[in-house]
Amino acid sequence: MNDAVVLAEASDTGLFGSKAVGLGDAIRKGIPVPPGVALSAAVVEGAAAGDEDVIRNVTALVAPLQTPLAVRSSAVDEDGADASFAGQHLTLLNVTSAAEVIPALAEVWWSANSDSAITYRQRVGLFTRPLVGVVVQTLLDPDSAGVMFTRNPVSGADERVIEASWGLGEAVVAGLVIPDHYRIDRSGEVLERKPGRKRVAIRPVPTGGTVEEKVPVELTEKLCLDDDQLEELHELALRCEQVYGPARDVEWAFAAGKLYLLQCRAVTRA
Amino acid sequence: MPGAPVEALQGVPLFAELDRHEVEQIARLFKERRFNQGETVIREGSGGAAFFLIDSGRAKVTLGGKELARLEEGDYFGEIALIDGGPRSATIIAESDLVCFGLTYWDFGPLVQDNGLIAWKLLQSMARELRTAQQSLVFMAAPSTGPAEGAQS
Repeated sequence: MNDAVVLAEASDTGLFGSKAVGLGDAIRKGIPVPPGVALSAAVVEGAAAGDEDVIRNVTALVAPLQTPLAVRSSAVDEDGADASFAGQHLTLLNVTSAAEVIPALAEVWWSANSDSAITYRQRVGLFTRPLVGVVVQTLLDPDSAGVMFTRNPVSGADERVIEASWGLGEAVVAGLVIPDHYRIDRSGEVLERKPGRKRVAIRPVPTGGTVEEKVPVELTEKLCLDDDQLEELHELALRCEQVYGPARDVEWAFAAGKLYLLQCRAVTRA
Repeated sequence: MPGAPVEALQGVPLFAELDRHEVEQIARLFKERRFNQGETVIREGSGGAAFFLIDSGRAKVTLGGKELARLEEGDYFGEIALIDGGPRSATIIAESDLVCFGLTYWDFGPLVQDNGLIAWKLLQSMARELRTAQQSLVFMAAPSTGPAEGAQS
């Protein structure tokens, strides 16, 4: 089944979508990415339709991954679709077993066919069959995570802008916290460290899904990244620019002392 | 076999003219979709591209915030979206965890386009539904014909 592969073998955006192929590119270039697999749109639809062969193959492919798992959509039908459909296509965090991946795939498939997604597609003139691939990865339980722009998305300055918080990066992406704010110039010098107000952290829970956990008061305004970690992020920015090109929007996480790339895409604001 | 139960689909007016083999072809295109209690299944005015048949659970239908009906196992909704992808005419909210079989515009369209006989039978069903709707409108628009107003020719 070559339309369901380990992430390192995902190289066809027409099959797997830009998110999956971007992560595959990262692995092939030696950038640390949580272990995972890429599933084509046809495989996702087959699983949603209850196709037994597809379900058996997907379950076998996913089984070696350490649980819990994250099931993320990877739209394949239009250029830049991941960005266009951000918020329309579902991501499921903390799927607790390989067997649970199958209903998660059905949920992702239906999210692309939901009324809200269809309304969006009609609004932007894309009333066409949605094609959504999926990336299944080991879900990290990060100490800190967030986003990084390799070029300042507001001023356009040639500097890294990092927003970080405790736990999973979804707290930053979903705007649940005022994240720490850092700026690093191209030489790696830290220009700004501004603590945020990080009152909650999103953490995986053993039974599946995630929970908003209250952050101890002494940590809410404490910087969640030290200078060594900022240097690692700066180096990750350099690597991402080498692999993907300039002006990237990077999602990252530190887990057990190691930095991981979760997603890298072009900055859509300037 | 994945798909929706044929017997339940044979009760849907849109499919009433189809024989069992034709309904079986449609049934195979359905996929299971689950909704949580309290979840909005479809929203009035929203775009839509799927038809749903309830397998288990309960839902309520509202229009402008006013409850119109309750739905349960074997009931269905959203069939017009299969044809035109047009806006939903009512809101449906899951009153319990709800398991549905869903069929999308993208799966239904190619089957109908490739099968003229199915298309013709669907047209006949739609014509019948349209005639029924027209008769209802005529009935509602007609002046009262009570004895005090005299007989009409």
